[in-house]
Amino acid sequence: MNLGKGLGIVGVFVLAVLLVVGATTGVAVLTDTGTETTARPDAPTFENDTLLPEAVADTGAVATAETDTEKTVVVDLSHGNDVSRAEMQPLVDALVRGGHDVMFFTGGSSSIGYSSSSGSSPLNKSLRDADAFVVANPGTAYSGSEVNGIEAFADAGGRVLLLADTPTSGSSSSVPSIVPSIGSGSSVSASGQPTNVAGRFGITFGSGYLYDMTENANNFQYIYGSTAGESRLGTDAEQTVFRAAVPIVTSAESETLLTGDNVRHSSTRKNGTYAVAVRNGNVTAVGDTWFLSPEAATLADNEHLVGNVATFLTDGDKAAGAPQASGSSSSSDVTFPGSGITTPIATPTNETSDTNTTGTPTNETSTATPA
Amino acid sequence: MSRSNVGRIAVVVAIVGLVVGAAIAPTVWDRATEPDGTVAVIELHSTITGDAATEVVDDLREARQNDTIEAVVLDINSPGGSAAASEQLYLAVKRTQQEMPVVTSVTGLAASGSYYMTAPADHIYVTPASTVGSVGVRAVVPSGGTPNGEIVTGPDKGSTATNAEVRQRVEALRRAFVGTVVRERSESLELTAAELSYAKVYSGARGVELGLADSIGGLDTAIQDAADRAELTDYDIVRMESPQPSLVSQLGLRADGQPATSASAETQATFDYQGVDTVQYLMLHGSLAAPETEVSANESR
Repeated sequence: MNLGKGLGIVGVFVLAVLLVVGATTGVAVLTDTGTETTARPDAPTFENDTLLPEAVADTGAVATAETDTEKTVVVDLSHGNDVSRAEMQPLVDALVRGGHDVMFFTGGSSSIGYSSSSGSSPLNKSLRDADAFVVANPGTAYSGSEVNGIEAFADAGGRVLLLADTPTSGSSSSVPSIVPSIGSGSSVSASGQPTNVAGRFGITFGSGYLYDMTENANNFQYIYGSTAGESRLGTDAEQTVFRAAVPIVTSAESETLLTGDNVRHSSTRKNGTYAVAVRNGNVTAVGDTWFLSPEAATLADNEHLVGNVATFLTDGDKAAGAPQASGSSSSSDVTFPGSGITTPIATPTNETSDTNTTGTPTNETSTATPA
Repeated sequence: MSRSNVGRIAVVVAIVGLVVGAAIAPTVWDRATEPDGTVAVIELHSTITGDAATEVVDDLREARQNDTIEAVVLDINSPGGSAAASEQLYLAVKRTQQEMPVVTSVTGLAASGSYYMTAPADHIYVTPASTVGSVGVRAVVPSGGTPNGEIVTGPDKGSTATNAEVRQRVEALRRAFVGTVVRERSESLELTAAELSYAKVYSGARGVELGLADSIGGLDTAIQDAADRAELTDYDIVRMESPQPSLVSQLGLRADGQPATSASAETQATFDYQGVDTVQYLMLHGSLAAPETEVSANESR
């Protein structure tokens, strides 16, 4: 009796609890509209198929520069040149594999004014044994004597390769947005262009750089170059990639080898076709050094361009002994103000297929840079 | 019950009624004169760091979830900042704009990352001297590889990526940024995607002409416009203030107490994780003095 009464009371209690909870749940469900109505913002640009750029093809290998005779290529590092062996390793490798000698000339400086007994500058002496000469981004100007020597060298069949990037000033705040941080080991940190050497051959490197806002290798400063006409330098190099290439202006007798088509010049912002590589006889000028670097040498068709450059350097036929010392017909070395002062000359380091790295220290900066 | 008792009870009831009425009256008064809604003014007056973006994203969420807030005005004066944080802000503004009117008042600078979050607004007010634009991305790459005495499990563990990969990533960010601005401003934009990619900044007046902004007007004009769009005749204004930079960074010091001398140290102090030098992807307007190696997807800085 008492038990039944107790159960009844508990039952009424449970019913009351269920009623309250049920009513609350029902009202909550009916009135709950959710915290946020739209699930996600409408941003289709973030999910576009074309959002992620395609990498530039990086296949192939630089061909070996094979010629019948063994040639000597001298790379100038004596004018504070803003380039190092590491930055042109693919070219050096192509030459060395073909059995050629690559020498980095580090000794003597035109500003010091060394004069040997024959009255010739140390650079001109080195050129006598060379078959090809590479000038890239000199920090200081070449003296009149040296320019004469290089001209005589080219006239005698020696191959000259002139390379230049956009000039930079060492500690300026107006550096272009992509600057290879090299040259720290050199006393001259600025890079320049071989203006007077190029001028002797009717070639002028421009100021500023070329860019392309639409058709580029994933950055506006990385432009595509294309071959102009029939030239050996452009063989198979239908699409090359240059970084912040410098436009080159030439006299009429020069031949345009590679151009940037439908690109703009940073100084004028004018659209057009600009020459990036030209050739005048035994002299070839390219408005970029980056394409020779390990990072760039196999991008797109750059491997063909680097191989063709190596071939250009080695397939010449230079008369031995040029440039002659002063007094000869072809060269007119002048005596420097510092004439007679004997300064120690560093021996050019010799790099052959057998001794890829020599123990002799060179001026080149050995800092590995992610150029 | 006597008549006097009835009268006494009536008086007591009347007094109780008056007291209760007086207690309820203010609430009724408030209800009767209550504004229709609130316009939230959300500030961004600093560079866009992860923390600054988080606060503004929280403010925008609060605006969406608070039933009284009917419209949002963005008060922008920022040179931009971290790319990832700028994208977060863009998405938060976009989502808010899908639910309620969002009007922007550029009170100084809406450049790069801060223009990103400005773009989806229903209307952008500028003044002739304010600045808009700089639609571009930059990556600041630390120099040097793996230091001596450190062992890593892969070649890119220390440097995070090759230069070519950094360029690709910057290009992807540029495509997203430029594509978004072109899409959001499609009704008025006079610039092509390529022209926009130059990343120039424009004065407010020129910005209106080119379609990067809509009209000339101050913050009050923007608030009134936002209220009109939300159909509020009587409204409150609540200001959600911009996060203040920490005292450490205001003093130009890094968290480890070293003075921030180089650009890398400054960007590291502002945008990065303390003591770790990583590739920083920035949507930031203005020059960084002497960058180490920089890959930028735009021309003007």
